[in-house]
Amino acid sequence: MSLRISEAVIWQETGEGISLYHTETGDFHSLNDTGSRIWRLVASDGEREPVMFKLSRDFAGSNSAMSRRIVTDVEEFIGAMIEQGLIEEVPAEEPAVKEESLS
Amino acid sequence: MSAGTPFTGTVSTGTLSTGTSSARPHPMSRAVVLGGGLAGVLAAAVLAGHADEVVLVEGDRYPSGPRPRRGLPQSHHSHVLVAGGARALDALLPGTVDALLANGAHLRGLPGDALIFSADGWFRRLRTDAHLISCTRGLLDQVVRRRALGGGDVEVWEDTRALGLTGDEARITGVSVSRRGAPPETVRADLVVDATGRRSHAPRWLAGVGAGDIEEVSVATGLAYATRLYQAPGDLAAAIPAIMLHPGTAKGQPARGATLFPVEDGRWIVTLTGTRGGEPPTDEQGFTAFARSLRHPIVADLMAEATPLGAVWPYRDTVNRRRFFERARLPAGFAVVGDAAVAVNPIHSHGMSVAALGALRLRDELARHGIGPSLFAGLQAALAAEAERSWRMAIEQDGQRVTARATARIGERAGEQVTEGVAERAGGDDAPRREPNAFEREIRTRLAQAKLSSPRLAAAFFGVQTLICDDTATDRSEIARVLTGRPEPLLTGEEAIGQHPALAAWLRLRFAAATG
Repeated sequence: MSLRISEAVIWQETGEGISLYHTETGDFHSLNDTGSRIWRLVASDGEREPVMFKLSRDFAGSNSAMSRRIVTDVEEFIGAMIEQGLIEEVPAEEPAVKEESLS
Repeated sequence: MSAGTPFTGTVSTGTLSTGTSSARPHPMSRAVVLGGGLAGVLAAAVLAGHADEVVLVEGDRYPSGPRPRRGLPQSHHSHVLVAGGARALDALLPGTVDALLANGAHLRGLPGDALIFSADGWFRRLRTDAHLISCTRGLLDQVVRRRALGGGDVEVWEDTRALGLTGDEARITGVSVSRRGAPPETVRADLVVDATGRRSHAPRWLAGVGAGDIEEVSVATGLAYATRLYQAPGDLAAAIPAIMLHPGTAKGQPARGATLFPVEDGRWIVTLTGTRGGEPPTDEQGFTAFARSLRHPIVADLMAEATPLGAVWPYRDTVNRRRFFERARLPAGFAVVGDAAVAVNPIHSHGMSVAALGALRLRDELARHGIGPSLFAGLQAALAAEAERSWRMAIEQDGQRVTARATARIGERAGEQVTEGVAERAGGDDAPRREPNAFEREIRTRLAQAKLSSPRLAAAFFGVQTLICDDTATDRSEIARVLTGRPEPLLTGEEAIGQHPALAAWLRLRFAAATG
């Protein structure tokens, strides 16, 4: 399953990180630096694996124990975002992704 | 036996005995309603369909015409019936709204027939189901009393004070009253309904029979207002929209505003409002100068062309106060309606409407249970539920919270590298208040301004204000649309007034006359 930002969410980069507004619940959320980084990666990559890979590379380096922990934490964060209706899981786009990767 | 009011019923003296309750069975059921204001009158009318005898106890004397009543300090001030209340009133007493309109009351759609300068800008004229009915309190009370009590099913005791309840913590058996010039007497009742308004002594009365304390919450507003009636210029008297100038958003300044509503007999009722340090004066010059100092001169301009009628009447008892009778172990046979239970800041114009909604709920509960133990078990909670929406709206708009709210966080696991404090809810009912950041302010401003021109957002907003829907009725897709689309331009004052042809024409004539 791919990930995408819910269409019900309006979001903006601010000096304090990313701020979100959920138009259906009326709730505001603010993300700290790390949460904002995950959010941007979800917005740009739309898949769990690249998000985890990039964060593990940046935070854990070659420390495999730390990598496992980061994977767990990212999963938890994304799960919470899905639960809040901020991020949605959608079926992976097959042909479009392949064509893009070939170009 | 009766105090001889025009509304006195035809109950035979053989069934309406007074005196201490006897050991004999009472084959006839009797309800006593304390307080003959709108909530009490409607409750009595409803009870007349379910009790053999209904007595309405009123400490005052009703005026013979549509005039203010001595015992009702609010009666000099602006009173509007909002859409939810008007519907409830018509459900209780069919044809009442038409009767009010036939007697000179005015119906104004919101915001279609209104000129409203909110803190966020001028509203466009948009058609919604929300509306208000404007007339003097004297007219409304008279029309309702005639329809509710004119059939003679309710016996009205005027000039009669309620002194306390009789019974014990398990069961109220009656009420002690004092008619003018007579010694106290006890009236047996199967159900006593307190409708004595903000000055209700119900907690003390309940303590007097051994019942527990009543939890009470007050939310101050710091608001005061002053009201004056005017004879309107003939050509504009009835054509005027409802006018509302809300306070601006300047921080550190008292919030000042005004309303002008048409009422019967070609009159306008003007109310000026101000928070602490900015209370409206009650002297002639001060009242006029206050109106002139507002964010827009339209109310002052209209006042200048109208003829004042009588004094400026002040009012300061604007605290939101709720007594949670539904949370207490109330004795059977006792209920509280209207402002005696939930009194919101009168500036929200909900008091009469909530009274009507409560009476409608009382009718439903009586139809389901009759007067008996199964009614008493849930009656107070049902009545409180009818006031809940108004209470919540009032305390939220008056900028206060009465319950502590817990912090909720998502995705937080303290000490962890990635998800440490990742996301924090900044809104929602379970989040603590904090200063909104620039993004939140921008969103809130755009939403507030969008409702000035979006028919769907305006319908939701005024639907809540007029008690015909709750905020879950807001069209969320419309919120997304207005936040992502190009904002509608805000109206200038001239454009806003230009939406109302009669008012605009009057202003043009006035300007032409002034400039020669």
